Amino acid sequence: MSAVIIDDKIVHYEVLGRGKPIIFLHGWVGSWRYWIPTMQAASTSYRAYAIDLWGFGETAKESQKYSLEQQTELLDTFMNAMGIGKVALIGHGLGGVVALLYANKQSFVVDRVMLVGLPVALDDLFERFGSTVPSDLSSRLLDQNPGADVARSEALKADEKAIRISLEDLKYIDLLEMSKQISAASLIVHGLNDPVIGVPDLSSNGDLPSMLHHIVFNESGHFPMLDQPNKFNRLVNDFLDLEPGESPQRLQLKEEWKRRIR
Amino acid sequence: MAKILIAEDERDIRDLITFTLRFAGHEVVATSNGEEAFLRTQEVKPDLILMDVRMPRMTGYEVCKKLKEIRELRHIPVVFLSAKGQEAEVQAGLEAGAVEYILKPFAPDQLTERVNALLEKYKPSGESIETPW
Repeated sequence: MSAVIIDDKIVHYEVLGRGKPIIFLHGWVGSWRYWIPTMQAASTSYRAYAIDLWGFGETAKESQKYSLEQQTELLDTFMNAMGIGKVALIGHGLGGVVALLYANKQSFVVDRVMLVGLPVALDDLFERFGSTVPSDLSSRLLDQNPGADVARSEALKADEKAIRISLEDLKYIDLLEMSKQISAASLIVHGLNDPVIGVPDLSSNGDLPSMLHHIVFNESGHFPMLDQPNKFNRLVNDFLDLEPGESPQRLQLKEEWKRRIR
Repeated sequence: MAKILIAEDERDIRDLITFTLRFAGHEVVATSNGEEAFLRTQEVKPDLILMDVRMPRMTGYEVCKKLKEIRELRHIPVVFLSAKGQEAEVQAGLEAGAVEYILKPFAPDQLTERVNALLEKYKPSGESIETPW
């Protein structure tokens, strides 16, 4: 395992590939590990990092660091420690919130941001979660998906406080408005059958800014990267392959991605 | 194939790692204490060092710190073998200059997979690992 020391505590990360840097940020259930297939697909052309946020996976469990502000600060400090300049962020759930907050705060270093399972509709978010106990969430969200074994075992390592505190912080943030304000190319992705993150009808919110796009996986739950990995990985690669400054609105779901062999 | 130096004072673990990595096609130099590891590293200049923390004569930390003081050896990635639940040990290892740690116990196939990934990750290359957006 790779780790850096931040504020005298261990922060675990992994990295694959060579190329432009991407950072994957996990959600409320699991750790960096469920990004492995996506990282592997992306690492043929990009340098793919993934970190465990405070309180998750192998990173230190320090309850005073569980606020969204501190998790965002972790991303910033990690990038400085690694010497990462401009970056693409791909976040899921909590990781999506952190990616969005970071893109909003440090817009000049974020080239593009993909937000999976972003809890745009906060009205009944707490009711939908029901419990913040890692084992309960793991049971509900990972269902019987055989490809989710790694995420299931990693989910139990999380500190329940890290989940609860970050959810409480969300009450004060308008994520939809924030996502409309960032200038980087942004792609919001939801799973239609996600039991905790409601799928917003973004078409009813007027025209989205030209640099923002919304895609729904009709056959996925909370983990589209595990439920439909081929489609998901292809979408990630298509998003990463956009030219700098190009709108993501032409992106759509396509079948399995295959690299051309010359 | 790569040249890997192992420093592990427990014979059974040392033999298991040696056998596993040789079976995977690597050249393995096995040492049983910190001092021997330090001296042999200077002789063989391995591509990777896998080192236990608690060893007789010199600890893994001491070896790692001394290696990082030697210009022609400081680039060699050092990975500590650390028992699960010893977070303080891991942290001290990273501060001593190790790049990673592998938690014990581990299955032989996991070790091979991990070592191959580490060799790929830290292989010297003229190419830039990271390119700008």
